[in-house]
Amino acid sequence: MSPALVRRAGRSVGAPVRALADLLVKRDGPYARAFENLILALIALSVVSVVVEATSPLPVWAKQALRIEEIVIVAVFTFEYLLRIVAAENKLAFIFSFYGLVDLISIAPFYFAGLDVRYLRVLRLLRLLRVLKLQRRILEATVADRTRELADRHALLQQAQAQLKAELEVARALQIALLPSAFPAKPGCDGAARMVPATTMGGDFYDFIELPDGRMGLVMADVSGKGVPAAFFMAIARTNLREQAAHHADPGACLARTNEVLCEQNPMDLFVTVFYCIFDAATGLLRYANGGHNPPYLRRADGSVEALSGAGGLVLGAMPGIEYPDHTVQLRRGDRLVLYTDGVTEAFNSADEAYGVERLIAEVQEHGDGAAADLVERICSSVTVFSGTAPQSDDITLTVLAWHAPQAPAALR
Amino acid sequence: MKVRLETLGPTTLVIPQGRLDFASADRFQEQLEQALAGAGTAPAALIIDCVDLDYVSSAGLRVFLRAARAAERAGVSFAVCALKPAVRDVFDLSGFSRIIAVHASRAMALQSPAGPA
Repeated sequence: MSPALVRRAGRSVGAPVRALADLLVKRDGPYARAFENLILALIALSVVSVVVEATSPLPVWAKQALRIEEIVIVAVFTFEYLLRIVAAENKLAFIFSFYGLVDLISIAPFYFAGLDVRYLRVLRLLRLLRVLKLQRRILEATVADRTRELADRHALLQQAQAQLKAELEVARALQIALLPSAFPAKPGCDGAARMVPATTMGGDFYDFIELPDGRMGLVMADVSGKGVPAAFFMAIARTNLREQAAHHADPGACLARTNEVLCEQNPMDLFVTVFYCIFDAATGLLRYANGGHNPPYLRRADGSVEALSGAGGLVLGAMPGIEYPDHTVQLRRGDRLVLYTDGVTEAFNSADEAYGVERLIAEVQEHGDGAAADLVERICSSVTVFSGTAPQSDDITLTVLAWHAPQAPAALR
Repeated sequence: MKVRLETLGPTTLVIPQGRLDFASADRFQEQLEQALAGAGTAPAALIIDCVDLDYVSSAGLRVFLRAARAAERAGVSFAVCALKPAVRDVFDLSGFSRIIAVHASRAMALQSPAGPA
């Protein structure tokens, strides 16, 4: 036969054997489990036979039966051994591996001793080593179990994480939905607000409240901390503030009462800084109280900028029994009031510098002439440009109120 | 942020260094709780010496508030001292200097470590 013919013959025999190997001994093969069980049964049978053979004198028919049984077992084990060699990617490595040698030892004594094994009892006892074949089964089963367990846990974790993320996104959306979307229409004034949320859930909020007496309440606030606790406290603070605002004509009294309520329901020792003012759009009179918040800036029509006095009141939620004094300032036509949270002035760039009040004041001074919405956008984009690629660690929140003074009926005439 | 501890007789001094913000707040909180618990017995007074503290955010202020409350519950007098101007501004702006005893220096805090009147 030419070498080519031998190769072709090898291929024609090799293909079905390989297919058989895939079916029977490859892990996840369709009949692998059944074949493995057959091997296990034969191992057990073989061990029992050795014990029976060694311990009691047997009639001739029994000896013959055991002999046939041994031939069948060795035939099956040999078949299995060959299939495992075929299935192995690195055949030499398999032959010299622990299990390869065990497989060989469990059949070799039979071939060594030929048909007559009477003189080689020691070799026959080697068949007991077939028990070692069990180990493969145990090990593989353990590994498969562990792998499945890990995969299950990983899937559970991923599912939990995805759910948590989705829930946090919903919470964030609900939190942002609490903020008023538009400034109430009032003759003589115009206002705009914007919050740029940080990546982690923050606690900034602003609010516009139309009061029963026709005046308007404006709120700028910042809850300490971040995450779900801050978001919850923000919702509680905002709701209580809104409710108290309807009942108190003075901003200080409103803050004092809100503080009492917040102190009663504050297991996490959170607190909120609040600037609250009541604006009369007809007269330009602004009454305000400050609970630990950055003082807003008042830009006069002539371009000068001043911080509102009266800062330093205690944050809300920290301690009951606090009074908040009222302050008053008269706005003039063309004035702008800029309310903000420290997310603006404490926005950091990649060099770890803060945006700071000087930059904010400069923007307000330079661009405060136009519409309220324009100034809000100006400041936001100035902060964004300043921080560059640095991550935004805090909410950035701004409100601008512009007062043009309503047309007096006298002037119309 | 790094935190050092010193003991002067019945007084425990906590000396934070660097920036106290959202990222370092929880750790600082734990350290203060440990300082308050003391080695078996609570100290008579707890002073936070802010001489090396550069920055405090609102999350950092909350740690001071919680420490002041915990000290009050444990009957330990509580004070802060040697605030840098930036930190002093935060304490003044938030009204915290009204409810927490603030001393100009460690020496002054040690002389009268009692809580605010």
